[in-house]
Amino acid sequence: MVKEEIARPSLIKWNRVAIYVCFILFTLIVLVPVYWMARSSLANASDLTKLPLIYFPTPTLRNFQTLISQIPINQYVRNSLLFAVSTTFVSLLVSFLAAYAFARIQFPGSGVILWILLLSMALPDVGTIVPLYRILKDLHLLDKISGLTLVLSSTLTPFTVWVLISFIKQVPYEIEEAAIIDGASLPQIFLRILLPVTMPGLVTMGLINFINAWNNLLYPLSFSTSPSSKTLSVAITEVFAGFSPYGKPWELIMAVGLAMTIPVVFLVLLSQRAIVRGLTGGAIK
Amino acid sequence: MQKGDSQQVNDRPLKAVFSRFAISKNMRRRYMLFILLISPAFFLRITTAAYPILQTIYLSFTNLNLIKNTNEFIGLQNYPTLANDFGVRGALYFTILLVVGSTLLDLAVGLLIALLLNERFRGTTFARTINLIPWAIPTIVAGYAFRWLLDDQFGLIPYWVNMLSGVRLVIFISPLSAQIVVILAHVWKDAPFMAFVFLAGLQGVPLDLYDASKVDGANAWNRFWRITVPLIMPLTITMGLFRLVWSLGSFDLVYGLTQGGPGVATSVLALQIFREGIMFFKFGFASTISVVLLILVGIVGIVGLWLFRKTEVTF
Repeated sequence: MVKEEIARPSLIKWNRVAIYVCFILFTLIVLVPVYWMARSSLANASDLTKLPLIYFPTPTLRNFQTLISQIPINQYVRNSLLFAVSTTFVSLLVSFLAAYAFARIQFPGSGVILWILLLSMALPDVGTIVPLYRILKDLHLLDKISGLTLVLSSTLTPFTVWVLISFIKQVPYEIEEAAIIDGASLPQIFLRILLPVTMPGLVTMGLINFINAWNNLLYPLSFSTSPSSKTLSVAITEVFAGFSPYGKPWELIMAVGLAMTIPVVFLVLLSQRAIVRGLTGGAIK
Repeated sequence: MQKGDSQQVNDRPLKAVFSRFAISKNMRRRYMLFILLISPAFFLRITTAAYPILQTIYLSFTNLNLIKNTNEFIGLQNYPTLANDFGVRGALYFTILLVVGSTLLDLAVGLLIALLLNERFRGTTFARTINLIPWAIPTIVAGYAFRWLLDDQFGLIPYWVNMLSGVRLVIFISPLSAQIVVILAHVWKDAPFMAFVFLAGLQGVPLDLYDASKVDGANAWNRFWRITVPLIMPLTITMGLFRLVWSLGSFDLVYGLTQGGPGVATSVLALQIFREGIMFFKFGFASTISVVLLILVGIVGIVGLWLFRKTEVTF
């Protein structure tokens, strides 16, 4: 007994050390690629091909100026934003209506219907890329942001419905009941009552869907053929395909990468809790 | 009110069906509302998921090719071609290796990160915040960042390895090292997300179970294996299943890191579909690969559900 009493503090101390070692290792592994990208995008191209490696080259914004002068980067940024915002809006609207129906209305077989909707999440996006290409072509939506929005909103809908159902179910039904008795119409119930109380859920899923759309590569890469609908994710693949005297223009590739990363990391740092709640909300409940 | 009136006029056949089951007018209106509310979502899913899947299956029996300008029904002829296709065979092999390997590693690393984030120490909040960065970073950007980080001449990692051991790492030349790197990059990207799910799961384990086992004299190691692991097993399998299915259909990281090379050593089925279908316009052949991918998803789903039912624990 006495021996254990003495041994215990040292055991705990060792654990503490282990925790901090793991913590530092974890931080390094997570942040080194991000540091490498930031360092390379803010450096002169010539500083990237010197040995020994320069860890902190003189910072410059020259790469971004090069990008602006060589590719229609402003248009790509605008397309990315438009695509992400409209996808977020459409997927939230469509999912919110469906989630309300599943959460509140007793309908024979609604469980099976929901199950089918959720099962469709398992379909790999790339597996339908060829028919989607043809459908968008027939609808004259190829190479249009609206076409991309339609397709990605649909892909994001099942998960959004799933998470929103649990958020709507948390709202006591009595509130709506009271409104119905007071003679409120359905749009009024949605706008005045449900919208404010389910706002946390909508914000959460809005953030997640925005990030998903901003990061999406498959659809713009497949369906965009001109700068009028190409997004930043396509732009980075095009910059990669270009050559510079030093081989690949890594300073430019990393500059596009940084431009794509800053907004999403900013959103994540701003609303870490909301995002985690949404990501885990679906899986845990 | 107006809405209800116009419906009464229009839906006579429906009304007859409903009245047979003696459903009140109020209920009928709620049913109508249900259908109305879910219809936009189902319209989207039917036009961009259900119908395209059926078309994919149909196209897999054709030689539709926009370049050669062929479009005939050729039955199963694409399938033997596919089985002998060098690219598809390589991609099938690596898809399975990648998906299984990275999912298992993801679960293990994710659980380790979750255990770390579950501890209270200076930096917990910081660690939890940066844990979201790999998830949030665009996958294609992560792909290029790793490729540059691992560049044999000016990449940081080969540079460090060279300084420490004198070994010159040339990763993207050899199939094996390229494959290992692609798997590890996937773990970097996805394990943190797993960690958040595990963290939520760990925090849901009732504390009194631990207290009871402490009274019984179980040490930390035993508590972990006897209590924590069995309780989060269903969650682990669910997450593993999702992860398997999702990663079967994605190629962003491969596209950025290796573009399937060297040769087809790190190519995946998803990348082959994209190449054959969107780059070479071999719609029929690409659809055939899609069907193989769908079959893989089906197998994973069935095995996964079976595993899930076997380990279900309630607490």
